[in-house]
Amino acid sequence: MFSIYKKELQSFFYTPFAYAVTTLFLLLFTYMLSGKIANLTNHFAYFSYTEVFYNVIIYFIFLIPIITMRTFADERKFGTEVLLMTSPVSVLKIVLGKFFANITVFLFMIAGTAIFPIITANYGGVVYSQLICAYIGFFCWGTMFICLGMLISSFTENSILAAIIGELIMFIFLFLDDFSNSGFISQYPKLQNVLFAFAAQPRFAYFSAGFIRLSDLVFFGSAILVLLSWTYISIEKRRWNRG
Amino acid sequence: MITIENLTKYYGKNRAVNDISFTINDNEVLGFLGPNGAGKSTTMNMITGYLPMSAGKVTINGIDISQNPVKAKRDIGYLPEIPPLYPDMKVKEYLSFCAGLKNIPFGKKSDEIERVMDLLKIKDVKGKLIRNLSKGYKQRVGFAQALLGNPKFLILDEPTVGLDPNQVIEVRKIIRDLKKDHSVIFSSHILSEVSEVCDRVVIINKGDIRAIDTIENLESTFSSGLVLHIKTKGSKSTAASIIELTEGVSELLDITDEGNDIHSFTVQLDGDADTIRNSVMTELIKNNITILEIFTDKPNLESVFIELINRPVQKTSLKELLEQMSAEDSKASAEPENPEEKEEN
Repeated sequence: MFSIYKKELQSFFYTPFAYAVTTLFLLLFTYMLSGKIANLTNHFAYFSYTEVFYNVIIYFIFLIPIITMRTFADERKFGTEVLLMTSPVSVLKIVLGKFFANITVFLFMIAGTAIFPIITANYGGVVYSQLICAYIGFFCWGTMFICLGMLISSFTENSILAAIIGELIMFIFLFLDDFSNSGFISQYPKLQNVLFAFAAQPRFAYFSAGFIRLSDLVFFGSAILVLLSWTYISIEKRRWNRG
Repeated sequence: MITIENLTKYYGKNRAVNDISFTINDNEVLGFLGPNGAGKSTTMNMITGYLPMSAGKVTINGIDISQNPVKAKRDIGYLPEIPPLYPDMKVKEYLSFCAGLKNIPFGKKSDEIERVMDLLKIKDVKGKLIRNLSKGYKQRVGFAQALLGNPKFLILDEPTVGLDPNQVIEVRKIIRDLKKDHSVIFSSHILSEVSEVCDRVVIINKGDIRAIDTIENLESTFSSGLVLHIKTKGSKSTAASIIELTEGVSELLDITDEGNDIHSFTVQLDGDADTIRNSVMTELIKNNITILEIFTDKPNLESVFIELINRPVQKTSLKELLEQMSAEDSKASAEPENPEEKEEN
């Protein structure tokens, strides 16, 4: 498992890939941040990092599938899937190795954002408890979407297609709560409940407001578990259906 | 020992491999021979555990590959038809990754990588990106990967495709050397290669096994005795009757009309070749028929192969099959060697 993890990290960090994605993310984050700071001169002097995180999620929808798109699609495209499948490594370990590598890149990305609270803490005060909650929430949320991206990558051998479909599905997920609150869906309260149960956005809102609720952790935890298992099944299924 | 029992593979409703069984003994090179699309790669993919089988069983040293895949795969080195390479990796990085996949202990890893790089002579490209390598080098890097960890069984799917003649000879030598402490299954559609390297051959076509035997046995069973080729100028019927009636000629196998009253005869001999050849020549000259060419030939794996492949497909004539095979061959690879065409003429 470790060798797969290492190989994936190499493919991210020995190429400009991880740095480019991180730079783009930090650029967007900073853009968001500077917008907020510019707003401080207006009537209401209110600023919170967690809100920046909340807002920056929309950009993440475009960045996460770019990290995950190659996970399985490229193995298939280059015929290296055979190498992995005929090595004495179980499919579960292959999935986990790749999963942890993607998580590492994700952590690398969000680690860059820590520079802003650190500078702020030097010159003023930061509400650490809330900030840590926001980071935990952001991490859970990102991990779930990484699993989703990996699953989609396991369906196809075209990595661009995997990215586009991933972005589409993540977009739908992001606006699921708005959609379930819409007038049309409100007519069917049962459907609304079901849709709302799948919405990750309001759960993330709790984190960014500084709450860690067990139900939210369970939601993200089980989503990650289900998506990873599904990825595993999808890879096995493709082997059986090949031809 | 690898045992393959009643292996079957369906692709949807298409049957790619049909109930085949054979074993690979220790320290043996087994050739896996068949035209394109015969089911060679599918079988190899099933033996290595990449593709699940529709029915049947593969055991590697007594371990069932579908029951205990991780343990069974430890003893296998596999070079697929398309070498499984990461274009963005350097050669040494790639081999190091493969060594990790095969659980080679950290201390032995660099020695092992050096060993396979030496063996396949790829040391001079170890720092290069794989995508920049030529096809021959890529093939050898893939081969090196299969040898990592010194697995007991090596399964090589057309290992010499894309190599230049020198490298082909080297790779054949490596395969012969590997026999000392490995078993090798090695697929090819180049017959000369198989007859040179392999101890036994499995001939497969359209998913069915046509024969499993040593090359010598196959050659003697399927085409006993020598074959005489004669090219004459003159009356076809006279020449044919003379040749057929000569003592020692057991069967007239083939007559080809080459225009300008030139005819080629292929006959099966039964007896001393020199005596028969001389008496055929004397008789022909007596009857005023010009001999343009005459030579005896040992039946080779090629004729066995063609006969075996041809056999159950009763409706196809030999010529049609040859045409089909040479068309397939030229389609599949740019291999200039087309021994079938020569015979066709």
